Amino acid sequence: MRSAWVVLKRELGSFFVSPLAYVVLTSWLVWNGVWFWMLTEFYARNAVSSGASTPLSGFFGGSALFFIPLLVFVPVLTMRLVAAEKQAGTIETLMTAPISESSVILGKYAASLVIWCVLWLPTLVYAWIMSQHGSVDWGAVTASYFGILCLGAYFMAVGLLMSVLAPTQIVAAVLSFVTLGVLFTVGIGEFVLDGTAREVCAYVSMLGHMQSFAKGVIDTRYLVFDLTLAVLAVGLSIGALKARRYG
Amino acid sequence: MIEVERLSRLYGSRIAVNDVSFRVEPGEIVGFLGPNGAGKSTTLRMLTGYLAPSSGAIRIDGIDAVQSSIRARARMGYMPEGVPLYRDMRVHEYLRHRGQLKGVPDVAAAVDRCLELAGVADARTRIVGQLSKGYRQRVGLAEALIADPPILILDEPTSGLDPNQVRQFRELVRSFGGKKTVLLSTHILSEVEAVCDRVIIIREGQKVADLVPGDAETSLEEVFAELTTANAGQEAS
Repeated sequence: MRSAWVVLKRELGSFFVSPLAYVVLTSWLVWNGVWFWMLTEFYARNAVSSGASTPLSGFFGGSALFFIPLLVFVPVLTMRLVAAEKQAGTIETLMTAPISESSVILGKYAASLVIWCVLWLPTLVYAWIMSQHGSVDWGAVTASYFGILCLGAYFMAVGLLMSVLAPTQIVAAVLSFVTLGVLFTVGIGEFVLDGTAREVCAYVSMLGHMQSFAKGVIDTRYLVFDLTLAVLAVGLSIGALKARRYG
Repeated sequence: MIEVERLSRLYGSRIAVNDVSFRVEPGEIVGFLGPNGAGKSTTLRMLTGYLAPSSGAIRIDGIDAVQSSIRARARMGYMPEGVPLYRDMRVHEYLRHRGQLKGVPDVAAAVDRCLELAGVADARTRIVGQLSKGYRQRVGLAEALIADPPILILDEPTSGLDPNQVRQFRELVRSFGGKKTVLLSTHILSEVEAVCDRVIIIREGQKVADLVPGDAETSLEEVFAELTTANAGQEAS
């Protein structure tokens, strides 16, 4: 695991010296800042009709606007993990070092989770702003961030798997975008379909997932889904990297 | 010591390496010679664990390199063809990273030592991506030396170096004679004559000669041309 730590350090170092990091972080914060401002405006004007929901619960679980930037930025953030090494040829020096495929994948996966957290860290300011102008349900905020962490665990794992499978970064980004987009769309079925189909869609639903956590409800069904998918994708990434030697 | 027995590698249905066997004794410097596309890089990639063989056995200091790949890799320094490096890192950062990855105990001292050995101490704080090809080549060599491995595998190590750098490189490799086992691939015949104790020639994936340069009555150039005529035109281009 020492080598996974070395891989993690290298991955973060290279991410934070790349212009990509700052382009993504800046546009991410602009997008969310505008969205959060619109929510506070809405709740300030419609105080009576808003009921139990608050700008924070609206932000974390309100609508598709929360997921649109994620469906774009997650592929952009994960595409380089392994595909960039293939394109630069450094996969050859990496895989001929005395380290296992698991260490490489776990190191890179851990790095992607750190990046995910860095993405969300500045949004804590929104909760602080709300606490200055009213009461904040800190339990619900904690649950929201926990939900985000679980969501990130499988988003980043899916992105990592695509980066292992794809020959280039662009192909990796497109594959992750399509995979996450399909999962998101299937989830919307929760609000459209009936019966068993609805049950299945609800299980996958990213919207339902975040709506539940934003209310402070930690639903274990979502946790099981997130973690299962994360473990599966990371496991497949290790397998795919091992299979490369036989290609 | 490197022992290769009946090694073969297929890419799909194309045979890249076909039933190749050879040995490199401890402390020996061996040249791996062949026209472009003869299977040199594929063979070296199998030795270093980057590719799995389709059949055959590889032993690195007696360790089965297919079954115990990681233990075998720990005994080798490898400089791949084209010298892929992390271009966004500084030279000393890159070497420190690689040293840590290889589990070198005193990384700082190892970085200094291999920077000095490869003659890149003056480029220590420069960014890898901004270096000239000759410098990058030597950073790759420094990387191969970082863990002070008993075995060095170098794939076309002098391509991109100027004549002075080539001379320095040859002196360095010669200085390893008797201390490190070196297998270097090249298609520069004078290089083999200058540094190698022995030469293995492959053509179309098969070993066609295993000889000591200077032993043959004819020059290595004539031997090479004779053994690899089918591809001689391609080589010249």
